[in-house]
Amino acid sequence: MNVLTICGSLRKKSYNAALMRALPGLAPEVMRLTVAPRVDTIPHYNHDDQEATGFPASVMAFGDAIRAADGVIIVSPEYNWTIPGTLKNAIDWVSRMEEQPFKDKPVALQSASGALLGGSRMQYHLRQCLISIDALIFGRPEVIVTFAPQKFDAESLELKDQTTRDMVKLQLAGFARFIERVGVK
Amino acid sequence: MADKVNVITIVGSLRKGSFNAALARQLPKWQPAGMNITPAPDWRDLPIYNADDQNSTGFPATATKLADAIRAADGVIFVTPEYNYGIPGGLKNAIDWVSRVQNQPFKEKPVAIQSATGGPLGGGRMQYHLRQAMVFLNAYTFNTPEIFVGMAQTKFDEKTMEFKDEAGIKFITQQLAAFEGFIRKLTGK
Repeated sequence: MNVLTICGSLRKKSYNAALMRALPGLAPEVMRLTVAPRVDTIPHYNHDDQEATGFPASVMAFGDAIRAADGVIIVSPEYNWTIPGTLKNAIDWVSRMEEQPFKDKPVALQSASGALLGGSRMQYHLRQCLISIDALIFGRPEVIVTFAPQKFDAESLELKDQTTRDMVKLQLAGFARFIERVGVK
Repeated sequence: MADKVNVITIVGSLRKGSFNAALARQLPKWQPAGMNITPAPDWRDLPIYNADDQNSTGFPATATKLADAIRAADGVIFVTPEYNYGIPGGLKNAIDWVSRVQNQPFKEKPVAIQSATGGPLGGGRMQYHLRQAMVFLNAYTFNTPEIFVGMAQTKFDEKTMEFKDEAGIKFITQQLAAFEGFIRKLTGK
């Protein structure tokens, strides 16, 4: 099964990007992970632009990648207690597409943050948005990586915390079963 | 046609004239042919949750009965008001009790939510709190259409409590039909 990973952070040393890079090594054998196009190539949503020139190529590519996947994992930081604007903007664009790509798509969430709530406030906001676009949202286990600097290698940014690695493994295995159960393919 | 899916309604209000109780009573009128909706056992005599009580005297019969009913059902529909922007405490307490029962009954259970209120938002703020609690219990919470009955006093007959809002009935009919599909997809029934 093909699972697309979407990262909500753009910075080079992002813990969330590092978490996303760790996923292929923790996924069950049936799951093949590919990385979605970066969300920062997508312009700000403006309905006038959509009407005048249609969907930008970057949005089409993002939408196509989601549509082609059997499932999606969003790995994102929390900005000001909620979803990073750039990630939300990407979701806002594809939500307007015909054959809306998130419809009935299995989606799992992960987040990492430097503090003690691990991005959970963002996750519950994101869950609420995913209701509107009718994704099939995976339940538990949740992956909420708290105190990220202690869990990744300072130099290589490799995920080295065993408890976190085990939790991610459990989620990915559960998500694979979820996709098999609800998947349209 | 496969077997009917059995769905129970859990009502969050206790008062006799409750709009939510009235709505729950009338749901069978709009259920699809493949669904059978019945009320869940009453939770009103549940004591306030206390782990000490659970450890000394076990679960109250009401909690066990409610948990058994949820476990036996193919799906659950909450029909509940919003109290102070949140989940009514009595309903949350009932959820808290059954969440402690072994073989936790909401695990992977399809759940849909409806709410009616006198204000314009129809319980939306409560619904997103309830959804968050359902994440912890690992229920499968149904997405859209969502049912928010705002300005309830204008939508129910004053005497009979019949729900007479045409647009609302249309959405509810759509939700129940889609919920049946959701249940069948998840349970394979």
